Amino acid sequence: MRLKELTVLDIDRAAMLQERLHQPGTRLGLITSIDGAQLITLILHTVSGEAELWHTPLQSNRYQSLTPHIAQAHWQERSVWDMFGLFPVGHPRLKHNLLHQAFRESFFPLVPGALEDSAFPHRSHTPMKVSGSGIYEVPVGPIHAGIIEPGHFRFSCLGEVVYNLEIRLGYLHRGVEKRIVETPLSKQRFIAEAVASDSAVAYALAHATAIEDLCDIEVPDRALYLRSLALEVERVAMHISDLGGLAGDIGYLGVAATLSRLRGVALQMGELICGSRLMRGFVCPGGVLLDPDNHLLQLQTLTAQLQNKILSPLNALLSNQVAIDRLDKIGRVSRRLAADFGLTGPTARASDLVYDVRQHFPHGIYPQVSLAVNSESGGDVLSRTKVRIAEVKSSLNIIQSFIDSMPAGSVFRNLPRDLPANSFGIGVVESHRGELIHMACTDEFGKLKRYAIKDASVNNWTALAIAVRSNLLADFPLCNKSFALSYGGHDL
Amino acid sequence: MLKLLAYLLKENVVTIKEIPPTLPAETRSLPKLTEKECAPQCETCRDLCPTNAISIYSDEGIKRNVDIDLSACINCSLCISQCPTGTIVRNDTVKTARSQLSELILSTATSSDLVTSIKVSETDNIFGRSIACRVVSTGCSACDLEISACTNPIFDMERFGISIVASPRFADVLLVTGPVPRSMHEALKSCYMAMSEPRKVVAVGTCACSGGVHRDGYTEANGVAAVLPVDLFIPGCPPHPWSIVEGLLRLMHGKSTDSR
Repeated sequence: MRLKELTVLDIDRAAMLQERLHQPGTRLGLITSIDGAQLITLILHTVSGEAELWHTPLQSNRYQSLTPHIAQAHWQERSVWDMFGLFPVGHPRLKHNLLHQAFRESFFPLVPGALEDSAFPHRSHTPMKVSGSGIYEVPVGPIHAGIIEPGHFRFSCLGEVVYNLEIRLGYLHRGVEKRIVETPLSKQRFIAEAVASDSAVAYALAHATAIEDLCDIEVPDRALYLRSLALEVERVAMHISDLGGLAGDIGYLGVAATLSRLRGVALQMGELICGSRLMRGFVCPGGVLLDPDNHLLQLQTLTAQLQNKILSPLNALLSNQVAIDRLDKIGRVSRRLAADFGLTGPTARASDLVYDVRQHFPHGIYPQVSLAVNSESGGDVLSRTKVRIAEVKSSLNIIQSFIDSMPAGSVFRNLPRDLPANSFGIGVVESHRGELIHMACTDEFGKLKRYAIKDASVNNWTALAIAVRSNLLADFPLCNKSFALSYGGHDL
Repeated sequence: MLKLLAYLLKENVVTIKEIPPTLPAETRSLPKLTEKECAPQCETCRDLCPTNAISIYSDEGIKRNVDIDLSACINCSLCISQCPTGTIVRNDTVKTARSQLSELILSTATSSDLVTSIKVSETDNIFGRSIACRVVSTGCSACDLEISACTNPIFDMERFGISIVASPRFADVLLVTGPVPRSMHEALKSCYMAMSEPRKVVAVGTCACSGGVHRDGYTEANGVAAVLPVDLFIPGCPPHPWSIVEGLLRLMHGKSTDSR
């Protein structure tokens, strides 16, 4: 990816970014730091497929918060505070995001030489209070009732209606970004894909794309096709699983059971591609692990089978008036808020924001092979359901066309022995949740010094808080499922 | 609704009747060791292993031995595909669960019995013919997806008496996935304390067994055993649904699934 690097002073940063984001096709990608002595701002240009990287040198541990001007910065600035101790001055609602009570206030793990100092108290956390007569709070989690990752939700309700949802994450913080930097290059991919295994291909692909971008090498065409093939199989499997979950949440168990069974077909396709149902370890920097050549025919048959069999349950879902009534106008996110908070993936597309990374940034064979973007305008659970259904169908079609048009050739090329010094590599991938960004950065010896990851959920978690406002508390599981958010991808 | 019913009837029963003893041929699996001797000076497997689960050492300067710690193995299968001598091969059994971490260490130094067969610890059958499991996820969700798959119509573990429940209060078994990072220590302990006795803890997946790729980091994500007493370890990244079902059945009956 063509990367334009420039230095932007802290004092100009907010105004300049506001001006950039007004240009059509410009997205705020990533806000982070390398070692706490600077801020890094990554801006993506969807029209040109290029990116801008702003270096903002800092004299102290304080900087001007972007959040009062650019709402979507709010979540990332909290994480930068936890990881680097950089304090955003003027942040309207600063609270800990990745690290809380278990960690001491003095500990900033991504600052070199960071240690916990027992003279400091543990981090504290005060949830937002909604007051007034009749307002009560419902705390949920971190451990939930189903088979799902941990996170804490605190609802402030009046009667059955939710006034505010306070989301508190970070329970899954495993220190992945630091661990990747400590690990030799050839083994980093295993850590990258262990961040959130429901998007293992997307994570491995974003990692591989970032490393290849860093080394500036091209990967054989066949490998690119196979990567996209795997990415779409993963999308199909996860969308089917999420749709099944939605059907289960509204009590439509025939559809839920059928979809959980059909998801098995998608997993079987993954198993044919590389031996792993979740396609772990398939994508690696330089290409893919192996060539599933002798399984491609069988893969084609399975895809056709799935295309055929999935229509009945999906039609059953969308043609049932009771089901439609349960999904329609629930958990609305308006187009304006979706844009302000930088939502991505099916969530954004259901709110009429037509943005799909597959059309803009290189990963796998995209954007060389283009596909139509499925969008809806309702912004509610029904729209998100419809977008997912459309994507299952379009992904299955494109899987067929990938197999038909798969070029011959090798599937791997060796990486150069050493990484270039003082360079950046960016990988942007459309995971089933949306835009996933990986950024790798090397020091003057060509050693990796920072690896940053931004999952689609980082922005999309805000959408959940927006969606449940003024909805019934009982509709929360439905809203939550319709966003299919990742806890692990957010917490890293 | 009737259309859906007609469709379901046409689809027939998809549930697989018996637990197959081995995984399908295309499925990637954990490794096992054979009696074939290692090539001199070859350290390919050790160098490739992403989690340093393999150690190679000389036995009094004569025989080279290989140890594989399955509790750290993420079944990437690189060691299997690159082993030049066939010392490390595919281990296609579904019976991978063990009650002790030490039983998960395979070694060419010990007899081949331990290498290929499974020691089953006989305990009293305390749960009768059903167990209720509470799942606490502390990881990447791969193992959660596979536990969910166990409940789908294909694997359908509920027919064996294993059900997933929504509260620790009425659970017999705590299934923990993920490496249990520091922020989850308190929550996990309180969940365990909320269970009535007798209760069992199962570590599902390599992260839960040992911390996996996250071990020894600043968040102390070193597996379940660092926080709670564990009764069964099911390695794999993630373990195959059949391995999970088979392990839980063995825990439930307190004996091998063979003699069930």
